[in-house]
Amino acid sequence: MGSGNNPIYTGVPEKDVFALHFLQTLSNLRTQIPFSSPDKTKDRVKKIKKAAYVSMARAAGGTNRLWSRSLLHQAAKRNNKNVRLSRRRKRVTWPRRNRRDPVEEPAAERLRNLVPGGGAMETSKLMEETAHYIKCLSMQVKVMQCLVDGLSPK
Amino acid sequence: MDVSEKDELRNGNDTTVNYVESANNPPPDWRVSGSNPVSDSYPTENLISSSQMMETLWYDPANVQAVGYGGFNGGGNPSSSSSFRANIDRSLETGWSLPNLLPPKGGNGMFLPNASSFLPPSMAQFPADSGFIERAARFSLVSGGSFSDMMNQQQPLGNPESVGLFLQGQCPSSEVNVVGVAHNDASAAMKETNKQNVPGSGNVSEDTQSSGGNGQKGGETSSKGFDSKKRKRNKQNAEADQSNRSQQSEEEPDNNGGGDKKRNDEQSPNSQGNKTNSGKQQGKQASDPKDGYIHVRARRGQATNSHSLAERVRREKISERMKFLQDLVPGCNKVTGKAVMLDEIINYVQSLQRQVEFLSMKLATVNPQMDFNLEGLLAKDALQLRAGTSSATPFPPNMPMVYPPLPHGFMQQTLSCMGRTVSSPLSPPINGGYKRQEANGWEGDLQNVIQINYGAGDVPPDSQAAATDASLPSSNMKVEP
Repeated sequence: MGSGNNPIYTGVPEKDVFALHFLQTLSNLRTQIPFSSPDKTKDRVKKIKKAAYVSMARAAGGTNRLWSRSLLHQAAKRNNKNVRLSRRRKRVTWPRRNRRDPVEEPAAERLRNLVPGGGAMETSKLMEETAHYIKCLSMQVKVMQCLVDGLSPK
Repeated sequence: MDVSEKDELRNGNDTTVNYVESANNPPPDWRVSGSNPVSDSYPTENLISSSQMMETLWYDPANVQAVGYGGFNGGGNPSSSSSFRANIDRSLETGWSLPNLLPPKGGNGMFLPNASSFLPPSMAQFPADSGFIERAARFSLVSGGSFSDMMNQQQPLGNPESVGLFLQGQCPSSEVNVVGVAHNDASAAMKETNKQNVPGSGNVSEDTQSSGGNGQKGGETSSKGFDSKKRKRNKQNAEADQSNRSQQSEEEPDNNGGGDKKRNDEQSPNSQGNKTNSGKQQGKQASDPKDGYIHVRARRGQATNSHSLAERVRREKISERMKFLQDLVPGCNKVTGKAVMLDEIINYVQSLQRQVEFLSMKLATVNPQMDFNLEGLLAKDALQLRAGTSSATPFPPNMPMVYPPLPHGFMQQTLSCMGRTVSSPLSPPINGGYKRQEANGWEGDLQNVIQINYGAGDVPPDSQAAATDASLPSSNMKVEP
């Protein structure tokens, strides 16, 4: 999926990048927990899910994208062991004197809740981020599907 | 040429006016206005171009020096003026682009660059000879010190096109302008003519300011004829114009449409039209090309408050992005309307997120120990990727041996990411053995518990892996990007 002749740049790396990041993060996961892994499925699931999102954020451009940036920041806050940011930035998004405030758009509220970091974006910017986010999400889903298929007993 | 002649011209404005009326086309206006406009209020660059143009105007080969102002004094020289006019008309018809950008006092700084950027090639048809330009320059001197100042300060736009531009822009299209020209206040006339011309020009946005509106109010009736013609020409020029400073593509059709609309408006009197036009002019007041702002022209029948303009721009941005999203979300082609579209997008994002969660659950169950073997997974995954992307080709059992380029590249990329250079011996036999060795290296370095779990893998160990082992430097398994 290229960005096309679009003034809105939403280029997304190839699947390989996503897969690589995901696997890296997963293997990193393993190091974090002791060998006698707490086998609660829920915990595992949560961890994997988090790993998925974090790796997706990294693969999608690290801190270049607003949503990925805020995602990484959220993850880093919660669990400082798993996620490390190379350069801790002071804030994910600029202070709220963004132009979003003067212009209210109630319709995009739900979208803001869905897309990480959407709370501090202008609506048009939100749309852009959503597009990129959708692309990355679909890519990540594909990677995970491949992984599951590959790992599942034949 | 000296100022006296200019005075004579002013006195003979009635003839000029008559002439203009009979001519009923822009050129005479230009000529008239050409004499005055140069004023201190305009930027020197503009004046330079204008002066050049004026020189051109006044010095028709047929008319020689008489044209200066003398030609128009008290009944002037109809024949010469007519021939002169013919020349002018011809030149005009070549489709000079809209210069109109002679901005009123406010936006002086940028006029010149804009003007020069606008010159369309068609302008070259203007009788371009160096003498022409010289005459224009001299003409400027005649009209007053201001011209000369400008001449001295600025490099003369040595092209007739600029002259044409100025002329075009100047074309007042109404008696008011002519009268104004006759008056000694050249600047006022210029402004008025520019104001009148502004509406016709769709391209340059910074010029509009308030000029167009005022001018229109001034001489609507008689100007309508002129305006329509001029706008027609301007519109053609506008389309040929490449110097569209607006940064949004949608502005171009807007501008052109606005120009057309204005023309139609002029011809069919519409109470709303004039107000809208003038409002539009004012609406664009704030735009300034040098600031890199996005210039928007208000459409006909729309509010021209600067707030509403910005609002419109914003709305258009949002709708443009919505269209982009529409392509992204499958099955949204039939959906129209922002609200429904938004719902669809939200649903899609939610479904994707749910899918991620579901797949992570599956992963957790499939691999209970969570011993994700990077290499093994890469191998399998790469293969899966390959299979996913291309049509299913049955892979031989020892899959790693038959690495298609993609996984190979992938492995290489992986390795390079790890801070390792992939050595060539790796190439075909990138196999589990090698990976195993690497894994050991990683473990050694990072105490990374990567279990070499080739449970489901079919990779047979390869003796060659040992060879590579020695060459493996301490791995640097990066987990951070």
